[in-house]
Amino acid sequence: MKYENLNKFRNSFSNYTELRVQENRNSSINLTNGDVTGNTSSQKSGVSARVFKDGNWGFSSNPEINTNSILGVVKASTENVQFMNKRDTNKCGYFLPETMANNDIDFSTNKNKQSQKYWLDFIKEIDGYIEKTYPELLSRNIGLGGLDMEKSLLTSDGSEAYSMIPRSIFYVMLSIEKDGNPVSIGNPWGGLGQLEDQFYNPSDYFNDIDQLVDRLKQKANGIYADAGYKDVILDADLAGILAHEAIGHTTEADLVMAGSVAADFVGKSVASPLVTLIDYANTCNDQTCPVPVYIDDEGTKSEDVTIIKDGILKRFMHNKDSARYYEEKPLGNARAYEFSDEPLIRMRNTAFVPGTSKLEEMIASIDDGYYLVKTGNGQADSTSEFMFAITMGYEIKNGQLGRAIKDTTISGIAFDVLKTIDMISSDMSWSSAGMCGKKQLIPVGMGGPAIKCKVNIGGR
Amino acid sequence: MDKNEVVDYCLDALKKRGVDKSTCCLTVSQKKELNVENDAMALLRTTFNTSLGISAIKNHKKASTSINKTDKNSIDEAVDTVIELTKGSKPDDAYDISDKQPKRLFSKGCDSADLDIMYRSLDEFVDYVKSTYPQIKLEAAIVDFNHTNSIYKNTNGVDFQISDGIYSFSPVFLSKEGDKTTSFNYTGFSTLKIEKPLYKYAMVDSLLRESVEQLNTRSLDEKFVGKLIVTPDCIETFLGFIINDISDGKMITGNSIYKDKLNELITNPKLTLHSKPVSDEIEDGYFLTDDGYMAENSTILDKGILKTHLLGIYGANKLGKKRAVNDGGAYVIGSGSKSYSDLIKDTEKGILLSRFSGGNPSNNGDFSGVAKNSYFIENGKIKYPITETMVSGNIKDMFENLDDISNERVNYGHGILPWISFKGITIS
Repeated sequence: MKYENLNKFRNSFSNYTELRVQENRNSSINLTNGDVTGNTSSQKSGVSARVFKDGNWGFSSNPEINTNSILGVVKASTENVQFMNKRDTNKCGYFLPETMANNDIDFSTNKNKQSQKYWLDFIKEIDGYIEKTYPELLSRNIGLGGLDMEKSLLTSDGSEAYSMIPRSIFYVMLSIEKDGNPVSIGNPWGGLGQLEDQFYNPSDYFNDIDQLVDRLKQKANGIYADAGYKDVILDADLAGILAHEAIGHTTEADLVMAGSVAADFVGKSVASPLVTLIDYANTCNDQTCPVPVYIDDEGTKSEDVTIIKDGILKRFMHNKDSARYYEEKPLGNARAYEFSDEPLIRMRNTAFVPGTSKLEEMIASIDDGYYLVKTGNGQADSTSEFMFAITMGYEIKNGQLGRAIKDTTISGIAFDVLKTIDMISSDMSWSSAGMCGKKQLIPVGMGGPAIKCKVNIGGR
Repeated sequence: MDKNEVVDYCLDALKKRGVDKSTCCLTVSQKKELNVENDAMALLRTTFNTSLGISAIKNHKKASTSINKTDKNSIDEAVDTVIELTKGSKPDDAYDISDKQPKRLFSKGCDSADLDIMYRSLDEFVDYVKSTYPQIKLEAAIVDFNHTNSIYKNTNGVDFQISDGIYSFSPVFLSKEGDKTTSFNYTGFSTLKIEKPLYKYAMVDSLLRESVEQLNTRSLDEKFVGKLIVTPDCIETFLGFIINDISDGKMITGNSIYKDKLNELITNPKLTLHSKPVSDEIEDGYFLTDDGYMAENSTILDKGILKTHLLGIYGANKLGKKRAVNDGGAYVIGSGSKSYSDLIKDTEKGILLSRFSGGNPSNNGDFSGVAKNSYFIENGKIKYPITETMVSGNIKDMFENLDDISNERVNYGHGILPWISFKGITIS
């Protein structure tokens, strides 16, 4: 649903204005113990405009997409900013940095689109494999879903952009009963692309599922972690969430302006010299990132943001307004989720840069600690204090992997934890199954190598 | 087509395509939203939206779709989509739609926002915070008014219309002084009318004051087992485990630890928990369940005894159990016999937990996480705000070991909640 001639509305702009036509398409199917418990699709489209004048913003959106509604949202957002300006004259004379960029990018599949029945049969085959191979399981929950985000953008600075960025996710959640209590584990697969470009044969996942069931059984027989301040290895998934939640959010400029502890750290050592952390715009090591952004929703060309370089905090992530405040160049971090959402400062693909160590060496270097493999949810704070749920991990004793541990959490002050990093693995992996929540949801990519550090681990 | 005609057209189109049962819900909404960012008024949003949700059951196969358009072409395409989705699905006798009920029109709140009151209230709030708590940084504060008009019909003859307008307020804030920064905190409430300063609603002012106190936190230097007094702003975090466990997902998969506990004692008898979506005391409730039944108030826990699971039509049919009369939410906890100050006085050692940053509990209820914006209590007195403190336990055990409930409760518009103390929690 590319809107071909948005440019004809340029004359309706009387202030700094962004005009965006957007459609989000979702599809989702879910099997619970073989029964179809979800079989849905949705389509949400519309137009929005955002206007800036004298330090205030006006925004308006409408689900109808036609000449009248487009002119209508420009008018309504202009009236909204006038309402604000009339009551707040403290910010007269504020101007946003000008950016101009043009880009068309379309990640739609070139293959024939398959029906939802095809995809339901796809996950039924996986469910059938699990049911037949592992009858001892208490429950099986399998889901498959896709999100297409398609945007056409015009700004008064002269930016014009079209993007169609799809994401497809397949997940399996399994549980088993142990001593009368259910124990569960799950795993997602997928990333950038429509279903046809992500998933080929159900049997491609059988080995991964065998490993998942193995881990579930290990976890069911697992031990409680020994609570305390421990040496740990955070595998790539956890390093990614540390990069995103604990460092990324504290260095989003709007949260810095709101008082994040990172405000005081620019140019200072905040991490071990081994640490470099980047919010990639769209490409890393010549590979397209899970959530590629080429032009953001303010019409700014997206470029990588090196947040930490060799342990030194270098800069924050900006939208135009925070870039104005900090007198920095915006690098394309302003993104909106739905047509009715205004752009916010968001991460794109946030990751630690790999080091030189091997995972085996890292494990061998720990006498008493944990190798933490999977995470559930995570949260961080303005103080950089973070908490991540651990849903799969192992003890390390005398340099050897030991027993699996039960679900637990880890916590720490991120800028302290980063200083304890003394080994980073040379490999790199990305994940993008989750949504980041900050007023609006948005797909993000996160990734990295495994890192060795010290954190507080919960337990008994 | 007007709204009624849209819904009728949709159901008729589905019927013509041979669908056995179907539902259609059209919601047209308008929202006004004023935003403070970083201590200053920043943004006014006006958004219009439309949602047309369609569900169909054909040959015992079910599918759903939603669009935000109401022209005939879009509806026809959506009907094609949902028919195609049903074809690909798998038959299940548990699928159904709500039974015929008397036609009803529900209404509450204003039809449109009073933008001047919204602006004035938010502006006054910013001024109040600046003058009373100069250390506080308002990361964000949002006042919005959301008005929705909905029509819900199904092929069993259900015909409901709802008009609903409600104001909400949600501030996010922290304190900063020199190089000291506190954890952020947040709260919120809903109301049909803004009738007093925003800081006087719910716990807003207390949490602002506490944020400033939390500039001077201390770490606990010992691990101990003690009491946890959970504030009204935080208690739903823990109630959520019980609610999740008695709802469709966990019940159907068999992962619920309460699946066979109906009419059994599952918490301390001091706890009575209601869900009151249509009570006058809950301004931000709801009139209909997601399945299209008129919502009713219910008692979920009566003196600790589980009186109902929270099953929808599918879950109830699948498990051969009774459908719940509401979808949960709008929680009202019965008040206890002691005052909040007595809960503190009766605590030899423990913490006052205002916000919990924790992992999702395990299926067996084990949980751990970080105590945020919280205080150490010793010998019946709140001693000091704490940092880097972990709390762990088991939620099932925690509610069995519930100690006391305060007689004061806080009305958030969407729930009425007290302070609750729990024994036997590991704090480190």
